[in-house]
Amino acid sequence: MNVPNQNSGQNSGLSTPSRQGSLIRFRLEFVPLACMLVVTLLVILFPPDGNERADWLQFIGRFHTLIVHFPIALFLLVPVLELAGRRPRFAYLQLSINFVLGLATVAAVAAAILGWCLARSGGYSGRLITQHMWGGLLLSIICWVCWMLRPRELRMIYAVALALGVGLVTWTGYRGGQLSLGPNHLTEHMPNGLRTLLRVEPSASTAVIADPNTFYGARIQPIFTARCITCHGRDKHKGNLRLDSFQALLRGGKDGPVIHTGNTQASDLFRRITLPSSHDDFMPKGKQPLTADEVRLIELWIGAGASDTLVVNAIKNAPSGSAIPAEVTFVRVDPDAVAKLRSTIAPAVAQLQKQFPNILDYDSRSSADLRLNASMLGGRFGDRDLEAFAPIAEHIVVADLSRTAISDHSAALIATMTRLRVLRLMDTRLTDATLLHLESLDQLESLDVYGTAITPSVLPMIAKLPKLLHFYAGETGIQAGNSVSKDLAGKLVF
Amino acid sequence: MSDSIVRAQTATDRKIQSGSPTEVGLALLQARTRRHFLRSLGGGLGTLFLGAMASKFVPSVNAAGTETAALDFRRDPRTPLSPLPPEFTAKVRRVIYLHMAGAPSQLELFEHKPDLKRLDGQDCPASFLAGKRFAFISGVPKLLGSQYPFHQAGQSGQWISDRLPHLEKQVDDICFIKSMRTDQFNHAPAQLLVHTGNPRLGYPSFGSWVVYGLGTENQNLPGFIVLLSGGKTPDGGKQLWSSGFLPSVYQGVQCRSHGEPVLYLDNPQGVSRSLRRSMLDTIADIDQQTYAAFGNPETVTRIAQYEMAFRMQMEATDAMDIRKEPVSVLAQYGAKPGEASFANNCLVARRLAERGVRFIQLYHWGWDSHGADAKEALNLGFNDRCREVDQPTAALLSDLKSRGLLEDTLVVWGGEFGRTPMRENRGGQEMKYVGRDHNPGAFTVWLAGGGVKAGISHGQTDEMGYEIVKDPVEIRDLHATMLYLLGFDHHKLNFRFQGLEQKLTSVKPARVVAEILA
Repeated sequence: MNVPNQNSGQNSGLSTPSRQGSLIRFRLEFVPLACMLVVTLLVILFPPDGNERADWLQFIGRFHTLIVHFPIALFLLVPVLELAGRRPRFAYLQLSINFVLGLATVAAVAAAILGWCLARSGGYSGRLITQHMWGGLLLSIICWVCWMLRPRELRMIYAVALALGVGLVTWTGYRGGQLSLGPNHLTEHMPNGLRTLLRVEPSASTAVIADPNTFYGARIQPIFTARCITCHGRDKHKGNLRLDSFQALLRGGKDGPVIHTGNTQASDLFRRITLPSSHDDFMPKGKQPLTADEVRLIELWIGAGASDTLVVNAIKNAPSGSAIPAEVTFVRVDPDAVAKLRSTIAPAVAQLQKQFPNILDYDSRSSADLRLNASMLGGRFGDRDLEAFAPIAEHIVVADLSRTAISDHSAALIATMTRLRVLRLMDTRLTDATLLHLESLDQLESLDVYGTAITPSVLPMIAKLPKLLHFYAGETGIQAGNSVSKDLAGKLVF
Repeated sequence: MSDSIVRAQTATDRKIQSGSPTEVGLALLQARTRRHFLRSLGGGLGTLFLGAMASKFVPSVNAAGTETAALDFRRDPRTPLSPLPPEFTAKVRRVIYLHMAGAPSQLELFEHKPDLKRLDGQDCPASFLAGKRFAFISGVPKLLGSQYPFHQAGQSGQWISDRLPHLEKQVDDICFIKSMRTDQFNHAPAQLLVHTGNPRLGYPSFGSWVVYGLGTENQNLPGFIVLLSGGKTPDGGKQLWSSGFLPSVYQGVQCRSHGEPVLYLDNPQGVSRSLRRSMLDTIADIDQQTYAAFGNPETVTRIAQYEMAFRMQMEATDAMDIRKEPVSVLAQYGAKPGEASFANNCLVARRLAERGVRFIQLYHWGWDSHGADAKEALNLGFNDRCREVDQPTAALLSDLKSRGLLEDTLVVWGGEFGRTPMRENRGGQEMKYVGRDHNPGAFTVWLAGGGVKAGISHGQTDEMGYEIVKDPVEIRDLHATMLYLLGFDHHKLNFRFQGLEQKLTSVKPARVVAEILA
């Protein structure tokens, strides 16, 4: 097997190859090739189907993770030996290259066989495992080809095959790592500084985003996303089951549907999450059981028809958000997206911020909505000044013009601020004329006219504002005794 | 290089002839060869490279230390208080924090415990005492029922004692957290924990964090104003409104409760505003030179503070002057212009809130009801304390509400810990007056305003009001919740100091109390 070729033979002064040696190697070479064919056939005829078989196949298969490191190390050793062997000082290394290649081929084939055993019996299926499997097979073939080519003086083809092989080892090894440690195992614990430098985005969940207004989207999918999709998601479908979308959930796994609409007890999914955690069928296997509230939610949802259109508050006795310790979610600010959102108004906003420092700003770092607070300027802020804000009027969601010198002349401009949620006109000279103009503000939730000369004649118009929650009318012509509709009475604050 | 050596040589010769004392220095210069230069050049370049790389890898390391990995709080150093938007849409824009220094007894105000009343005067069970540390209780104390009758108030039917007749009218706007917990049972560290998130000195107070994160809208007033109500300064001292390791421009500005709000703010006689202006310009010039020479950001802070003082001359006096309020409003608060009182401060707080001040911190004092003397007895001095805060607090809430300000203001009321259901027996003997010892295990804090559920109670203590049985809320949880209402993830409002992204909620995990969010 470790017969040196002529070059290395000359360099090291060892004997030339014997005929008998070639013959032995000829036979040896075809054993791995035959094995490879067998594995290829196995892979094609019996692909990993996500079904778990707890038998000797899996027992043997588990050794894959042990054996697999040999072909990796041995194969990567070859280019090192080749390069080092070019220097006269290390020329003797060339003698060992064929031996190493042979070992690598045998190890690669062994790893491939064991890999098939594990994939077939360990309940694997999905994109990752397929890629890893074919990568491994191809690699063992390349190994073999290199082994064959090296003594035959086909240096160019050999070099190309070797380079291909190195690339393939890396790729297949990475896929293997993803299989065992998770899809983002290399970057998962990357320090933040390095992450920023390399622009590595933190990985997002791969689950299909469901409509958050449905019970499924708001309450059920988040449980699956948090607890199940590492094994039943895009990259791994153990038991041939995926829980990363509603369609996939309905499709079920290897034993058919896991959910029986309306029948909780017949649903395999429910059975498995409620088993004692020591049971063989228990899910999530090897992890913390689902909490009582999570189980209850799934139970209620299946019982109510397991639909993805059921509205979020349709199930009355569902454990409320507070029973499950409801955590507030913090949304990450994406500066690029925000910049894009603001791009149309940013120049105008920057100009106004320069002209009127500290009174105009974005609602938040993640928003393109604007807040205008001119109340601190008091009498120094008048109709003319407000006019400057006309170009961005429809982006203002909160406007505080209290104590400013604006008059009814500004009514038309205020009426164009159609997205206003909050409007404060406390202690201004504004009269009913302005308020009667504001019917277009259909997003208004809070209107404050405290200390103005507003009279009850505006009340019918106020009643028409669809989203209004509070109308602050203290110290105005409106009195607590004014007759108003019951609906409006609840919104009036004195 | 060789040229310079020649020049240095001739210069040395001259100096030697004139007997100059710089001979040694020049000789040293000469001794420095090209090799020295090149070697140090290599090292220097390497250091520069490392420095440049380090700043890339660790984005939060920069000269001023004001940048953070997550959010950028940098501003023009000349306007360190300029407003910045919150991280996400905020429910509240400003905070009025009413701190009752000394720890008011929750059992005489908000915690209705009929079982404790029933067992009044009996020996405290041993289980209450095992493994506990008390400030003064020793031996076996007696249980002490509430000294005042309780009743349900408002639409929400929350329990409240008869000591707060005005506040009970606002009870439907209030969210009680009855399961507050702390790990400090002495006043100063407990107050520090409530204010800075840390029981030790040197950390920025809540107001400093908020002004650092959000700036302030009104540049003519400080963003963080502190008002004391006469009596004594809280045990925690001025550290309670200190900026800790944040730039000192973010510290609370303590204003006087009577007389001029800020001493020496007015121009002295014979000094006109324009003269003051030119004086400040000259000082700023000198400060700029100092800053250019030493690069200390505190120099810029100093310039900014002079400038603010100049602008405040116009506005602060007006904002603090409650005589400008109509008599009816003064009566509503029970405020009497000219005296140092909590009532006056509540009214000032409303005026400051209107004027865009970000964080208004009010202190009241004397709530340490041990019963060691009449002033701090539950049956005597405690009544005065209740009277002093009841009407102004209620007036503040209703006034803010009618002006529409309560919907984006957060009002917080609370002390630094709670009081025991046992009567204090200092020295193991029955004391002349009725009092309770410190209880860090349970106390009540209430919130009112934007983003908070109104008319609810969160959390629960046992039948004796001694320990929490449901939904404990740590101080850091309260802080995280308040920051959430202000539009921040409490992890993101941070400042790099001593190698750590320091934050108000410190290092233990804090949770936003989602149950009380509206």
